[in-house]
Amino acid sequence: MIPELGQLALTFSFALSLLLGIVPLYGSYTGNERALMLGKPLALAAALFAGLAFVALAYAFYTDDFTVINVASNSSSVLPWYYKLTATWGSHEGSMVLWVWILTLWTAAVALFSKQLPLLMQGRILGIMGWIGVGFIAFSLFMSNAFERSLPYFPVEGNDLNPLLQDFGMIIHPPLLYMGYVGFAVSFAFAIAALLSGKFDSTWARWARPWTLAAWMFLTLGIMLGSWWAYKELGWGGWWFWDPVENASFMPWLVGTALIHTLAVTEKRGTFKSWTVLLALATFSLSLMGAFLVRSGVLVSVHSFATDPSRGMFLLVFLLIVIGGSLLLYGLRMRSVRSQARYQLFSREVMLWGNNVFMLTATLVVFLGTLLPLFHQELGLGSISIGEPFFDAMFFYLTIPFSLLLGLGPWVRWKQQKWQPLIPPLAMIAVAALIVAVGLMAATQSVQANVALIGLLLGAWVGMSALGEVGQRIRQFGQGLAGIRKLSASHYGMTTAHIGFAVMVIGIAMTTTYSVERDVRMQVGDTVTLSGYEFTLLDLYKLDGPNFGGEAADLKVERDGRFITNLHAEKRFYTIQRTVMTEAAIHARLSRDLYVSLGEALPGDAWSFKVQVKPFVRWIWLGGLLMAIGATWSLLDVRYRRKVLRRAAAPSGDDQSDATKELAHA
Amino acid sequence: MRKWLFFAPLAIFLGVSVFLFTGLFSDPWTRDSALLNRPLPAFDLPDLMQPEQRWNRELLTGEPFLLSVWGVWCPTCKAQLGFMTELKEQGVKVVGLYYPLPVDPAFGDHFSLGQLQRDVQRELAYFGNPYQFNILDENRRLSLDLGVSGSPETFLVDANGKIRMHHVGDINPRVWRQKFEPAFEQLQQVGLAYQGAQP
Repeated sequence: MIPELGQLALTFSFALSLLLGIVPLYGSYTGNERALMLGKPLALAAALFAGLAFVALAYAFYTDDFTVINVASNSSSVLPWYYKLTATWGSHEGSMVLWVWILTLWTAAVALFSKQLPLLMQGRILGIMGWIGVGFIAFSLFMSNAFERSLPYFPVEGNDLNPLLQDFGMIIHPPLLYMGYVGFAVSFAFAIAALLSGKFDSTWARWARPWTLAAWMFLTLGIMLGSWWAYKELGWGGWWFWDPVENASFMPWLVGTALIHTLAVTEKRGTFKSWTVLLALATFSLSLMGAFLVRSGVLVSVHSFATDPSRGMFLLVFLLIVIGGSLLLYGLRMRSVRSQARYQLFSREVMLWGNNVFMLTATLVVFLGTLLPLFHQELGLGSISIGEPFFDAMFFYLTIPFSLLLGLGPWVRWKQQKWQPLIPPLAMIAVAALIVAVGLMAATQSVQANVALIGLLLGAWVGMSALGEVGQRIRQFGQGLAGIRKLSASHYGMTTAHIGFAVMVIGIAMTTTYSVERDVRMQVGDTVTLSGYEFTLLDLYKLDGPNFGGEAADLKVERDGRFITNLHAEKRFYTIQRTVMTEAAIHARLSRDLYVSLGEALPGDAWSFKVQVKPFVRWIWLGGLLMAIGATWSLLDVRYRRKVLRRAAAPSGDDQSDATKELAHA
Repeated sequence: MRKWLFFAPLAIFLGVSVFLFTGLFSDPWTRDSALLNRPLPAFDLPDLMQPEQRWNRELLTGEPFLLSVWGVWCPTCKAQLGFMTELKEQGVKVVGLYYPLPVDPAFGDHFSLGQLQRDVQRELAYFGNPYQFNILDENRRLSLDLGVSGSPETFLVDANGKIRMHHVGDINPRVWRQKFEPAFEQLQQVGLAYQGAQP
């Protein structure tokens, strides 16, 4: 009964989204205020029913209702209760229900928190969100029904959840990622509404900024968690694989990052207008493209879902309508834009333009690396594979100029900046960065000219420059606490996110350079020494879990005769899915991770072990976390909560050039 | 002119979606190793059981065979030994490429060729021995050249030493019937004709 109610609720949500797509948009063209007012209740009701559908599905999982095909193939009665709940979004069908619910929640949030928006604009945005909802709910209802039953013949036991997904990181990784992906639908809707109205002044940018920041924050956290999960669960200590699905989430992140920065230019200076609109369209388009790549089976990856060409076809048509339609609208509407502000070559506008150049180059690299094998194959040129070396090399070369620019950017003022006053502070920071980088290297490793040194230098440059800049601004605003209070939350947010980037660069450079690993054969009592750490195998014994068996190993780690920690590594065999999983033993410190994973049983009561010492690997995720904290801090800025309706009129001034010309100039 | 620039994103997107459309109808799991229809990479490696015997590309040509990358450490490889032995009895030539696990020789109980040979012998005696002989991929260089990403992987090589098919995962009756058998029989006929033409 409950699953049927769930499906009914989803159908209601579909109908409500359809109404939401029609009524407020109708109102926006006829000026019918009552039709426009209906947007909010419709959005709230659609979210409510999508939520009920999700709860019904989760309930079916929780109660082991194996008559539901989705439950039978992705859960089992011996699964712990929390994994039963997370199994709700472990399959393609279930994750679509979650996706739809999150989409309707964003729509409802727009309806609730956009009181300051003109009613007309609000109606347009909700209408567009409604149509996106219609597409995804239709996909869930008609192409991948999560509530389908297998009555009258149903299995008495389920197929169990993929053991890879039985992990804490996996509980929150997909929801966060979806929050990010789907959240960009809001920026997309704002951009489309701006296109429909024909007004691309700074107003829409100001409204779209907090939503974009929120979506970006979730996507950042989602990607970071995914990386952390892979590090823990895949058992060989890698944290980024350039896997097509990872790339599919990385592309909207890169373009989204560019979007956050140009939104600032458009809001504050009224320039880059058509460019910003295009980026808003592109960010969501890449999210959709990612969904298509993962769910259609065009690319093979560890986390793609089961493939089905008819699903792929549906998504491709949806893609064509949404992306093709919005880009067509863009082409039709965009010619009338005029930019107002003038700026010099050395100005913040140009610095942010530089950010965009790097972000988009990086996106292009990821895009080509991900899709080139597909293009190549379909053009009949045979198969090629593009792997880590390509991405690693490209990103290495991109990071260097990007970091140099990032250290400089925040110091530069809008419109124009004289370079003389910047030299003393920046020279001091450069010297300080050199001292800190070499000092840090001398403290942890030996000083060498290598990737790690470059990473440390760049990281120290970006981080200290961000701190120096915020210090200078505070001093400008007043003495002590007064200055600290006066500086806006979004400025602190920016600084935090930039420091996060610096921390991440240091982490990546140090880990890739100084990680050491050894594959060893060990029996109880054996000791292996790596980077001064002595790993001793204390015990090997059989495991007996609820839905798995396997082998476990206890190790002791000492350094210079001093006890560091005990480690517990497991090799699990999940009996229902007949899959082997490695549970690595990790001892984490800010300066290094000790990582031990069990390999295979070897003859003579021995096992092969992979033993690794990974310096600074935590810094990678710490950096991501700081970026997300930065975005959240920016969101707290009072500016976004103030009524902006009154001063919504565009800044004055009229320049003949449009954004494309500006880009050509700079 | 500038007016049309605003349509460039649309044009790019439409171009990409053509590929996405055609990609939808080609199964990526069969998207094959980059070596397909190329000759085997050159190598010079010892026999696993008689290390003084060395094998190279030229010694392997003359009839089609399956090159099976495996190791005693790989459970799926064990599972396919039985069926592959049946294939051997049907007259399919199977050559093993033994992939030794990277065990640190300097550490603990020494990793020795003698030990490895004993392990392999025990396993083959127990599960069945489909292999005409096994090539020991000492430094795993040949596997690397073949683009092996996991075990077991199987390559179908024709009489001229060209790779004709690549399969990741175990060889079971279904995979054999659907994927390998038609191609293998065809190659065998070509191979016979080739041998007939030789003398």
